[in-house]
Amino acid sequence: MSVVSTILSPSLIATTLIFVIVWGMLAIGLNMHWGEAGLLNFAHAAFFAVGAYTSAILTTPPPESGGILEATRTIGFNFPIVVGMIGAVVVTAAIGVAIGATSIRLADDYLAIVTLAGAELIRLVIVNQGSLTAGTKPIKNIPRPLEGTFREVLGLGLPYSVYYVGISGLVLIGTLIMFRRLSDSPFGRVLNAIREDEDVPKALGRDTGRYKLKAFGLGAGVAGLAGALFAHSQNAIIASQFTASLTFIIWAAVIIGGSGSYVGALAGAAVILGIQAVLRVVPSTVPIIGGDLEVLRPIIVGILLIVVMYVRPQGMFGNKEQTLAGVKE
Amino acid sequence: MATEVATLLSFFWNGLVEGSLIALAGLGLTLLFGLLNFINIAYGEYMAWAAYITLLATVGGLPFVGAILVGAVGGGLIAIAADRAIFQHFSNRSPVVLLVVSIGTSFILRNLIRVLVPSEFRTALYGVELLHVPNIAGVTILGNQVVVLILSVLILGGVFLLLNRTRIGIAMRAASNDTDLARLRGIDTNRLVIYVTVLGGFIAGIAGVMLGLESQVNPTMGFTFLIPVFAAVILGGIGDPLGAVIAGYALGIAQKLSLVIIPSEYTPAVALLLLIAGLLTRPDGIFGETTR
Repeated sequence: MSVVSTILSPSLIATTLIFVIVWGMLAIGLNMHWGEAGLLNFAHAAFFAVGAYTSAILTTPPPESGGILEATRTIGFNFPIVVGMIGAVVVTAAIGVAIGATSIRLADDYLAIVTLAGAELIRLVIVNQGSLTAGTKPIKNIPRPLEGTFREVLGLGLPYSVYYVGISGLVLIGTLIMFRRLSDSPFGRVLNAIREDEDVPKALGRDTGRYKLKAFGLGAGVAGLAGALFAHSQNAIIASQFTASLTFIIWAAVIIGGSGSYVGALAGAAVILGIQAVLRVVPSTVPIIGGDLEVLRPIIVGILLIVVMYVRPQGMFGNKEQTLAGVKE
Repeated sequence: MATEVATLLSFFWNGLVEGSLIALAGLGLTLLFGLLNFINIAYGEYMAWAAYITLLATVGGLPFVGAILVGAVGGGLIAIAADRAIFQHFSNRSPVVLLVVSIGTSFILRNLIRVLVPSEFRTALYGVELLHVPNIAGVTILGNQVVVLILSVLILGGVFLLLNRTRIGIAMRAASNDTDLARLRGIDTNRLVIYVTVLGGFIAGIAGVMLGLESQVNPTMGFTFLIPVFAAVILGGIGDPLGAVIAGYALGIAQKLSLVIIPSEYTPAVALLLLIAGLLTRPDGIFGETTR
């Protein structure tokens, strides 16, 4: 009984849903890179971090010198949350374009390594520029949008996270609609052509480099927005939440969901978080699967990824003919 | 003045040791990369597994030298197991598919360490002082660093003898250069894949143990070391063993010497920036002769 009531508690469900939304946004951004344009981006967790940090820094006041724990950070702006979110998108998209510009001419796997290296550079900056990011310490007291309004006006006594699901859900739906439209537009078709064979759109007079840069910026911008949504759902963020392994988990989400499909990207994120939710319910006394969640999830995701690549490379929602970019034999 | 020279010398010495690690790991990776033609993210896990096997062997009472060998053989076995169980089923698929599959493999191998290794050893030091060396010219020289350097040079030398003087080594280089042509000339390239995988895993294993000797043993040690190793492999020209080794030493020394002008937190950035600069100016590697 207690297990069931724990699972069904509104705040736990809401927390899981917020993660599905945030990871879903990340997967949508990565699908723009990989699914649409065939770009191997391994810097996604870094884009996510840039968005989260940008919004957190823009919306929190500079810490007062009192606390020893937060003593290193000196910069903060205390802007409204909307400014933080827009700032997160702009800064992340700009960094995405900058990394893209150095590497977009490179062949597939070189691009993968350069983006991985770019992500590591970003991580170094976050960990070491303490006056801006608090270094390895957390940035605390990140404001939550409309918190007072929900509590006072609606007054339903629900935890804040339930309302936040609504806010972030709207952002997700807007993003999904926008990206699906882009995908069906001439812009999307040129990207798909680049993915299949870059020489063809080139021969038709398209400046493929510009298209790839735009795709890079768009996908990174969405990752930045996901970072901002994440930061404002948490009270505090810390550098260790943004490791490179998150990049690979989002890759798994896109591939399992079906590269090329935005709905698939969202579904892939939901599947991985669903696995996590199920594992959490299993009591730790059950042998093997009752073990450490942080250890089991990546093992199961890894196996799932390999099996999907073997049995169904187009994933859950991918179109076999359309999404075999780079998957061709 | 004398202290400044000593500081520079000690940066150089630390760079030489770091370079040995990058060069060794890069040699194994470039051999695998050259023949199998895909970015294998799980390579870092081969390194970490070997480091743990060595750790557990020493805990079990084996002398350290023997434990190194056990760990290296373990690295080779893990590599061939991953190849037979997973990668070989994707051998006719594109490099990107194999890259994604190697991400999954890396997830599994890295977290199996956390499942299998008792928690008290999960982050550990070898705790061995293999040699005692006096300071030379004011430079602090640790015994373990000397061991890392000597062992790396021995392994590098051995592998180059193998590649240049034995029939199988020459076949490996030929197949790396052009697999189809090698097969036409009667080389059994499928068997060669097995040999190269074991050799690459063995070298990864030694590099992993050396990395553990230099710092500490933890499950993500190999994964986090991958970036400079990839940098060396790409700068050296993919599939070019000598290029990877030279680039590895150059990167290690450049990282440590950069301490003269930049704060220590940012030394890893040197390898990254050199990689990006190198790729943009000489995408075929510094020696220009790509084998791919």
